[in-house]
Amino acid sequence: MITAANVTKHFGEVTAVNDISVTIRSGEVFGLIGTNGAGKSTFLRMASGVLKPDSGKILMDEQPVYENPSVKADIFYIPDDQYFLPNATPRDMAGFYQDYYASFDSVRFDEMLGNFQLKPDRRIHTFSKGMKKQLSVLLGICANTKYLFCDETFDGLDPVMRQAVKSIFAGELSERDFTPVIASHNLRELEDICDYVGILHQGGILMQKDLEEMKLNIHNVQCVFQNAEEEKTALGLLELVKAEKRGSLNNITVRGSEKEIMEKINTFSPVFAEIVPLTLEEIFISETEVVGYDIKKLIF
Amino acid sequence: MILIDHKDRRPIYEQIIERFQQMILCGAMQPNASMPSVRSLAMELSLNPNTIQRAYQELERAGYIYTIKGKGSFVSDTAAAAAHKRQEIQREMQVTVDKALLSGITAEELPEILTACIQNSSVLINRGSMKGELT
Repeated sequence: MITAANVTKHFGEVTAVNDISVTIRSGEVFGLIGTNGAGKSTFLRMASGVLKPDSGKILMDEQPVYENPSVKADIFYIPDDQYFLPNATPRDMAGFYQDYYASFDSVRFDEMLGNFQLKPDRRIHTFSKGMKKQLSVLLGICANTKYLFCDETFDGLDPVMRQAVKSIFAGELSERDFTPVIASHNLRELEDICDYVGILHQGGILMQKDLEEMKLNIHNVQCVFQNAEEEKTALGLLELVKAEKRGSLNNITVRGSEKEIMEKINTFSPVFAEIVPLTLEEIFISETEVVGYDIKKLIF
Repeated sequence: MILIDHKDRRPIYEQIIERFQQMILCGAMQPNASMPSVRSLAMELSLNPNTIQRAYQELERAGYIYTIKGKGSFVSDTAAAAAHKRQEIQREMQVTVDKALLSGITAEELPEILTACIQNSSVLINRGSMKGELT
C-alpha cells in the first residue's frame, strides 16, 4: 500500500504538488488523471523516490521511499521521457536492470521481446517512440516489482499494443502481488483497467474514488417540468454540478445515484425525464469545470 | 464469447453480468458447465481481473453460478433464476403497457402491437437464419 500524506513540492516559485493525500491499495490499479501541469509526473517522481517532497510523507508499505534502496527495489518507474543508456540494445538494458532488480526475469523478457517483435540486438536509439514505450513496459513487467508506475506510457502505444499491454497487466494482477499506477490522458482506456481513480488539478487532488462508485454517483439528466415553479423546487432538491437550459429542456449534471435522483424528479411528475451515467471523460470535464478549468474559457 | 460495448454507459461489470445471464437463461451455457477463469477472461477482454471477479460475485449472489474452491465457477441449475428473470421482464412490460395506455393506445390495440413486436424480434429472426444455414 502506498500512502501519501500532505505531500507538497515546490520548484522555485512554482508549487507543483500542493498538499496531496492519497492512498493506493495493493492489488488494485490506480489511475492518475489530471489537467496538464497538474503535478501527475511530479507526484510519481516523488512516489518512486526520485524527488524528495518539501513537506509531507510518502510511505510504501509503511516505509519511507526516498533514499531507501530496499523499498525502491519494489518499484519500477516508467517516466514519460524514458532513459536508455547511450547506444544500448534491449538486451543491454535487461542486463542493466538485472543488476538492480533481483527478481528480473530475463527468460520471460527474451520471450516477450519475440512476441512483440522487438529485436534484442537492435540499438534502441533507432527505435520509434512507440517501440521505446513497448520496451519500457516489457522491462517494467519483467522486473517483477510490486509497484509499476506508468507515466503516460499507454498514450504512445497503438490500439493493438494497448490491448496487449492491458491484457498482460490483467495476467500479472491475477497471478502475483502487483499494483500498477497509471497516469494517462486516455480516459476511455483507463475505464477498462482501473479500480480507483484520482483526479489532479493545479497541484491538488480534486477527488479520489473507486471508479464504479464515481460513475454511479454522477449523472446527466435531461428533463422538462410542467411549470417553472415545479422546476425551481425540483432543481433545488438536487445536488447540481452544472445546469443548462434550452427552451423548456433542462440539461443538468447531478450528484447521486440513479434511483435517488429519479425518485426526487418523479415526485414532480415531469413531462419528460431521462437519466444517463457519465463516462470517466465527462466526469473529468465536469469536475475540473467546477474548479474553473472551463473549456469555454479556452476556446472563446 | 463476451463482447464489451464501450459505447454502453453502464459499468463494464454490469455488461458482463447481463451477458452471462442471457447465455445461461437461453441455455447456451448448460448447468454445471464451467465458467471461464477470472484470469483468462480478464486477459481475453484486457480488463481488470477485479472487474470480472465482481461480476462473478454478483452472478453467484443471484444464483446463476456456484463456486468450488480451487476448481473455479460453474453454471447453476437455473430454474429459480429463470423464474426471477421472468418476473423482472413482466415488471418491465408492465411499465411499457402503462406508458402505452397513457399515450392513448387502447387495451384492444395492445395485443396487435405485441404480435408485431414478436414478428420483428431480431432474436427470432437471427435464430431463423441460423437454422436456415444449418439445413
